[in-house]
Amino acid sequence: MNDTTAVATKTASAAPTPAESALLPPVDVFEDATGITLYADLPGVPKDKLHLEIDADTLTIEGEAQLDLPGDLEASHAEITVPRYRRVFTLSRELDTEKVSAEMHQGVLKLRLPKAAHAQPRKIEVRG
Amino acid sequence: MKLDDVRHGFSSLWDSVADGWQRLRDGTVGALTRFRPGEHGAMPAKGEVDDTFYWPAQTWSLLGGDLFEDAHRLVVRIEVPGMDKADFDIEVRDNVLVVQGEKRFEGESTEGRYRLLQCAYGSFRRVVPLPAGVLSDQAKASYRNGVLRVELPKAVESEPRKIAIAVD
Repeated sequence: MNDTTAVATKTASAAPTPAESALLPPVDVFEDATGITLYADLPGVPKDKLHLEIDADTLTIEGEAQLDLPGDLEASHAEITVPRYRRVFTLSRELDTEKVSAEMHQGVLKLRLPKAAHAQPRKIEVRG
Repeated sequence: MKLDDVRHGFSSLWDSVADGWQRLRDGTVGALTRFRPGEHGAMPAKGEVDDTFYWPAQTWSLLGGDLFEDAHRLVVRIEVPGMDKADFDIEVRDNVLVVQGEKRFEGESTEGRYRLLQCAYGSFRRVVPLPAGVLSDQAKASYRNGVLRVELPKAVESEPRKIAIAVD
């Protein structure tokens, strides 16, 4: 197995227009022998507002934060003006995109992308 | 085009510039929060992580914070993803709300390498100035989807304060 990063951040190819500008969420990417685990900080995004898409070798993470505030409240100090997150990754071909699993816990997305069977280390037992 | 239109256009441009500065200032003051290594869970050493921007001694993270108010209450909202509810320590002191906590780093159980490590872990502290006196014993806090929300009833009912300053 080579030692290159299997998940690479894609350079902004199609820059979003200001109207749909989004925050780039910070991520942790951990690679082990059997695959990649990706964590993304998406505070305020409920499970149903999270969109994950894999198109060929491109993984797109998109989420919309929900502010959950009654309408009569007036913002006297607001830092969150863009309640959208978006980040795009290019996946290496050794990952099996059919077997991706995702879970969301307190605003942190955990994605597990296993490596395809042929890219995983195999132990061959000697018989006889 | 009439002069009035031009003037109107200019003043709205000025408003949006001023608004932009205000937002930029509000958006940066306090939002940048320092995370120090916590007592629980050791962070991987620098050599174990490929991310060149990774620095285990301390990290900075932007924790978005909002303060909302109506006649009866103040609502503070702070984005701190990945916390355990029990790891928050929330206090009202004089006219500030102090939120402290520790976001634990849980290392992976398998052998491997971190290619990127951008999320912040460790202990942090955020101080939010409150624009009105509050009944701290009636404060309520909840934590959902990685967002902490603290609701503080006002000691005296008051409309949100607005101060108009005339410019000579």
